[in-house]
Amino acid sequence: MRRITTLAVPLAALWLAGCGEESPPTETAGFAGLGQEAGEFAQAHEGIRLRFPEDHAAHPDYRIEWWYLTANLEDERGEPLGLQWTLFRQALSEPRESSPDERPAPWAADQLWMAHMAVSRGETHRVAERFARSHSRQDDGQAGAVAEPFRAWIDHWQLASRVDTSDESGEGDTFAELQLTAQQDDKHGGFGYDLTLVAEGPLVLHGVDGFSQKSADGQGSMYYSQPYWRVEGEVILDGESRAVSGRGWLDREWSSQLLGPEQQGWDWFSLHLESGHKLMAFQLRGGGADGGDYRSGTWISPEGEPTALAPDEIAMTPLATQRAAGREVPTRWRLAIPRAGLDMIVEAPHAERWMETSVAYWEGEVIARDAESGEHRGIGYLEMTGY
Amino acid sequence: MFTAFATLLSHYKRHPGQLAMLLLGLWVASALWSGVQAINASARDSYARAEALFTTGLDRLERRDGEPLTRDDYLRLRRAGLPVSPLLEGTLEAPDGTQLTVIGIEPFTLPGDSDFAAAGTAGELTDFLTPPWQTRVAPDTLPALGVSHREAPGTEPRLAEARLPPLILAPMLPPDTLVMDIAATATLLDSGERITRLVAAPDALEQAPEGLVLTRAATLVSPGQLTESFHLNLTAMALLALAVGLFIVQAALGLALEQRLGLLRTLRALGVSGRRLVGLLALELLLLGVIGALAGIVSGVWLARVLQPDVAATLGSLYGADVAVTLNLPWHYWLGGLAVTLGGLLLAGSGVLWRAARLSVLGLGQAQAWRSGFQRQLKLMSAAGGAVALVGLALWLWLAWQPPGEGLLAGFGLVAALLLASALWLPPLIALLLAGLGRLLQRRPLAQWALADLQLQMPRLALAMMALLIALSANLGVSSMVGGFRLTFLDWLDQRLVADFYLRPPAEQHDDIHAWLEAHGEVAELLPTRRSEATLVAVERGGDAHNGEVRELALPVGVYGITPGATLLPSWPLLATEAGREVAWQTFAAGEAAFVNEQLAIAEGLSPGDRITLTAPGGEALLPVAAVYPDYGNTRGEVLLATPELASRFAAPPGSIGIVLAPGGDRAALRAGLRQHFAIGGDELVDQREVKRIATGIFERTFTITRALSALTLAVAALALLASLLAQARERRRQLAPLWALGVPRRKLVTVQLAQLGGSAFVVGALALPLGTLLALGLVAVINVAAFGWRLPLYVFPGEMALTLATAVGVALAAAALPAMKLWRTPPRALLAEEAT
Repeated sequence: MRRITTLAVPLAALWLAGCGEESPPTETAGFAGLGQEAGEFAQAHEGIRLRFPEDHAAHPDYRIEWWYLTANLEDERGEPLGLQWTLFRQALSEPRESSPDERPAPWAADQLWMAHMAVSRGETHRVAERFARSHSRQDDGQAGAVAEPFRAWIDHWQLASRVDTSDESGEGDTFAELQLTAQQDDKHGGFGYDLTLVAEGPLVLHGVDGFSQKSADGQGSMYYSQPYWRVEGEVILDGESRAVSGRGWLDREWSSQLLGPEQQGWDWFSLHLESGHKLMAFQLRGGGADGGDYRSGTWISPEGEPTALAPDEIAMTPLATQRAAGREVPTRWRLAIPRAGLDMIVEAPHAERWMETSVAYWEGEVIARDAESGEHRGIGYLEMTGY
Repeated sequence: MFTAFATLLSHYKRHPGQLAMLLLGLWVASALWSGVQAINASARDSYARAEALFTTGLDRLERRDGEPLTRDDYLRLRRAGLPVSPLLEGTLEAPDGTQLTVIGIEPFTLPGDSDFAAAGTAGELTDFLTPPWQTRVAPDTLPALGVSHREAPGTEPRLAEARLPPLILAPMLPPDTLVMDIAATATLLDSGERITRLVAAPDALEQAPEGLVLTRAATLVSPGQLTESFHLNLTAMALLALAVGLFIVQAALGLALEQRLGLLRTLRALGVSGRRLVGLLALELLLLGVIGALAGIVSGVWLARVLQPDVAATLGSLYGADVAVTLNLPWHYWLGGLAVTLGGLLLAGSGVLWRAARLSVLGLGQAQAWRSGFQRQLKLMSAAGGAVALVGLALWLWLAWQPPGEGLLAGFGLVAALLLASALWLPPLIALLLAGLGRLLQRRPLAQWALADLQLQMPRLALAMMALLIALSANLGVSSMVGGFRLTFLDWLDQRLVADFYLRPPAEQHDDIHAWLEAHGEVAELLPTRRSEATLVAVERGGDAHNGEVRELALPVGVYGITPGATLLPSWPLLATEAGREVAWQTFAAGEAAFVNEQLAIAEGLSPGDRITLTAPGGEALLPVAAVYPDYGNTRGEVLLATPELASRFAAPPGSIGIVLAPGGDRAALRAGLRQHFAIGGDELVDQREVKRIATGIFERTFTITRALSALTLAVAALALLASLLAQARERRRQLAPLWALGVPRRKLVTVQLAQLGGSAFVVGALALPLGTLLALGLVAVINVAAFGWRLPLYVFPGEMALTLATAVGVALAAAALPAMKLWRTPPRALLAEEAT
């Protein structure tokens, strides 16, 4: 499971921060309000069939949704770089009965969008954030996500298909090749990227055919990934441009009630292993069967065959913490999946990956080594919320 | 202790007049001061709120052709990565007729540090963004909406055409302003996809996108800066009033002490220590001060309430600054008012306390001893006056070295020094005059007596006379300045407003209307104008001394295009030209030269013959300056060009058109024609007479307050004189009694008294004439230039001068009349009886 967010709380936090009154996010409905009840919204459940390319687009009937890309890159000299690009959507109001062709009033909004971008290299970590509004019955807004040709955007930050599906055959997969562009000015000279993403494997559905359970009492989300991106292009950091290449992982997830009310945060791993396998594993702190942590994951073969991992098939233990932006964050973990013969130490080489955004969290590159031999096993990303 | 204090106070029981005078002085001084401060504090509060709003502090984008921007423009720019945010503004009429400004914002893209968020309350953002939305409004706007403070939150007030979204109170918003989501505003104003402008954080955009005009926040002067001079003006007047009021207090205190000298000696002799005595006197002072100051603040606030609508209207029309009509006073205002009055009182009373502290137990209170003391005082006054005059001279020299338009405070300092030095020199001067007259009138015993007697009275009258001198000169100076301004301004209005109508056609109809008007038989000439923004980037000095010297700068200026035709040419005023009016207009009309307004000329030291370089998004131009023209009321530097030049060089959109009718042209017919063909009327078409009426109205209101304050100050000074005279009336009678006993008839005694005071007042009045004129010169040549950027010619008004003189003598005679009447009615026997006591 992946990732943040109900926008209501981050934006309310932004609003309040402007008033000069520091007000901590309300913790009553789980991290970032993700435990709010679904109400009139559609509810994710087992048995929903995912359809592509339609499901690449926004699902305004659900409360929350995201397009979440991370990439482990190297520049020409072999120096590692990390990047993140995320587009979050949140419905402002419950879906209303109205005829689909009724044109919304000018500027009317029923969707909020928030986007995060980050570029990191060594101890440098640059972060930017954007917000926008849109209406679900207009797809020319300041932000949005449409299926074919696929495009997810906010202002000039966008992830868009490079595949021309308008030709006669009409057969091309709009998700086979994407272009990611985003750029932000800052006092360090600006940062951004212009990258081509080529899918070298199939989409992977998590959980039961794409329904990923998030707590023992059945809450969950629709969740699929494209973990096979080969990434190439250019990254700008502090005004300096670099040619880069590497691997990317895109997560797509939507839901109306993601967390149980007692769950306060999570730790989430996405790993590209040397063997060609991919591993997604997370734990939600609280909300397990006996009030303990709830764990889940997917073990993905090099061919893209997923195996859902049950809670008791994953062992996840924090070994050491480091200070990042004034908080104690576990940056060294033991991650064991006995069923896959894995016992690894997963460690973040740099602790300074705190995302100082309206909803703050830790998101950074990790290196996986064998717990006994210390042999290099793979690279990936770790996200930690609620610290 | 208590007994000693009660004994001290018992003096006022016997002389309630003195107590009344003391309190009156304190009350008047503190009332005027706190009234003006209340106005200032309230206005500052309004400015702070206006500046906290996003309308100031953000760069603006508008379309070059004057058409409204739309949502598509906004989205196009956002997708190009430009950090712009849409604003939708409009007006709605409140049930009571107040014009409310509605501002629609897009909170996600509105630059964060524009302080808008500070106007927010902790309301849910979702409620702000989704129907029924929210209206953020300051509590002082509620009365216009007909809603009480208590029931306000959540109410949805009904306006003529629509219902407002539920109210949320946001005290930091400016008055009469409603802030809501742009979607709610679009619905209320029925504005579709149109927006008023795009805004961006200052300097976030390097240049204006194609087809748009970028106005930097730095060029949008905030109302606080603009109105600074206005408030400084008010403050100076209030300080003057405070000073005059304290003169009364000082006089009254001195008298009260002197009459209690015997009492004080007795108390000392009875064993009350000197230190305790001074402490008790200070306590008395404090008690009086608190009573007087409180009364003063209460009436000051009342005064401010009365004046505030005028002040608000003035600031609104002069500077476009929105100021609340109701008072809004911060807590520190009340404390400040009290502190200033008490501080002033302490200053006024320090002399009294000093004398009381050095009181000799055995000394005798003698008028003659007093007089020799006064001689010393006169020398001190001359020296102090000299010192103050030197300070004034230094300020004047300093100002002469300053770049023009600087030193508003120093200008006020100069004026204050001038007034103070004159006031300090007044008593020595009168003493000198009296001594001289005494020698001249040696053969006339009664006149001799009158002069000697006047000399004896001087110590007590001096302060009141000084106050009168200051008030008279200030009054004369201010009325000369206002009168001069009025003459210049009205002339200038006549010269500038030459067309019969001013038409502001909608951009899309501009060409059609222009063509229609040209074909219209009743129209003699059309005077199309255009406006643009530009940056003055270089100044090249002409003339022999500085030939070719180039100075680079980056000053935002307005560029204004006019049509130099048969109507405008003969009347448009010019202050200075390089080679005469005719040549200037020829080169101007040919597009070979520009004119600059006086503000710009003074601020940048420009004169005809210099060359300026202007850049604008639409182009760049190097132009010689052919003339300088007066531009009263404008707050900015402006460059004048022929209209076609503005279109070709700066791509400026068409602006308003002046319409000159042929002789005998029918105004009504033209109006009707425009309405019929183009549905134009009302706001777009303004009659020249209407413009003049409005301009004159603004002008009159601008100076209402200044005039009211200077008149009030004069009244206070008259009161001071009256109070001083009344205070010593009883004693005076005692001195007159022997004269009467010597056979001088009462009629003659009264005449002598009136002559004494009338004469001295006449001297004061006569001195006030040159001083007032000098003051007016300081106001028009130093303060106006610093405050507004333009200089006024100095006019002298003999009528005003005569009035000043008459006021002085009138006030003195009126003040003397009351004691004289008493004297007239008192039986001589009573006079003698008084002498005996």
